[in-house]
Amino acid sequence: MDVHSLHRSPGNIKILVGARLVWFAIPVAVLLSGCQSVHNAAGTPTTYNDPSAPPPLAQGVGIESQDIIGMTDQMMRDILSNPRLAAQQKPPRVIIDSEYFVNESASRINKNIITDRLRVELNRAAVGRMVFVGRHHAGMVEHERKIKRDGVADKGTVAPTAAQMGGDYRLGGRITSQDARAPKTGAATRFSQITFEMIDLESGEIVWSGMYAFSKSQQDDVIYR
Amino acid sequence: MNRHAIVKGSTVLVMFLSASACQHMEPAPICDMGAIASQRTLVSVPAAVPGGASPLQEMPLNSVSITDHRILNKVYVRNVTARRTPSGTVELYAQVINCTDHPLQTEARTQFYDAGQAPAEPVSAWKRLYLPPRTSNIYREFSLGTTSIHAYMVEMREGE
Repeated sequence: MDVHSLHRSPGNIKILVGARLVWFAIPVAVLLSGCQSVHNAAGTPTTYNDPSAPPPLAQGVGIESQDIIGMTDQMMRDILSNPRLAAQQKPPRVIIDSEYFVNESASRINKNIITDRLRVELNRAAVGRMVFVGRHHAGMVEHERKIKRDGVADKGTVAPTAAQMGGDYRLGGRITSQDARAPKTGAATRFSQITFEMIDLESGEIVWSGMYAFSKSQQDDVIYR
Repeated sequence: MNRHAIVKGSTVLVMFLSASACQHMEPAPICDMGAIASQRTLVSVPAAVPGGASPLQEMPLNSVSITDHRILNKVYVRNVTARRTPSGTVELYAQVINCTDHPLQTEARTQFYDAGQAPAEPVSAWKRLYLPPRTSNIYREFSLGTTSIHAYMVEMREGE
């Protein structure tokens, strides 16, 4: 078997090609491994924004942090200036949650972010002028009452009551919006209106109303999640 | 003679008409910013430490302080008043005038103080005020507290 026949046999051709590839692959691998090093640099730092100011990087036409802070602050101050709610000899019992606070707007928003903030800030500011009933925690209270009465848990230190606290007034409200978009430019405008109402839970009378409205325009709206 | 009188009369008429055309009437409000600036009094406020000298000469209590140079010569705070609401909280009003021919947006917030001039409650949220050209609008704010409120201070800046 001569050299030429050895080189040209199918099995030997595979071996030769493989050998050439190895000779090619080794320096390439060495080169590549030389390029792969740790990019030892600091990442983009997280930026804290002032929640009471428009977001600097992603401002859209929907309800944003500065609107939530502004509207809850305005409603809280307005409620505390209402003598029927905040100047009674016997402080009224109030329920503030998102159960009857509906979102019919084009903005995607967790309604609890508004009602939770309003309830917490109002409770802190009212200091006894109003009593807040945690109806959204009714299940938790009921469970504890049951295991106390069943003898699973002891009675605690607070005197037992015949029933959970009933509410005198409850928050209702609605988020609505009107959108406009220019088809040529893509510019978007949204008018948003948020209404707040305090309802007498016996008569149905609306004893207090508040409204927060704004209109925003933006070339390209952002995506709210 | 008659022709000469007619020419004279026509000249006077043309001069009168041209002069009247040159009269430029500024619509209200006419804001004299120099006079407004001269009204800014430098009031010494009590020092943080009793007896010590206060470095603060500006931003007196029970007033509106414009803290943004972008609107310093554009808006005029005509008056600021406060009163008690039926529930005992304090309601303050400030009438703000846009002196320009352009729409403006301002933001304001209020800090209420107790009798010792310490902050009685958290500062209010910024509230936006829309001011079309040469119009006035009312900034209104309520306190949270009742009898504890004795003074206030309003900060105003341009709306972003």
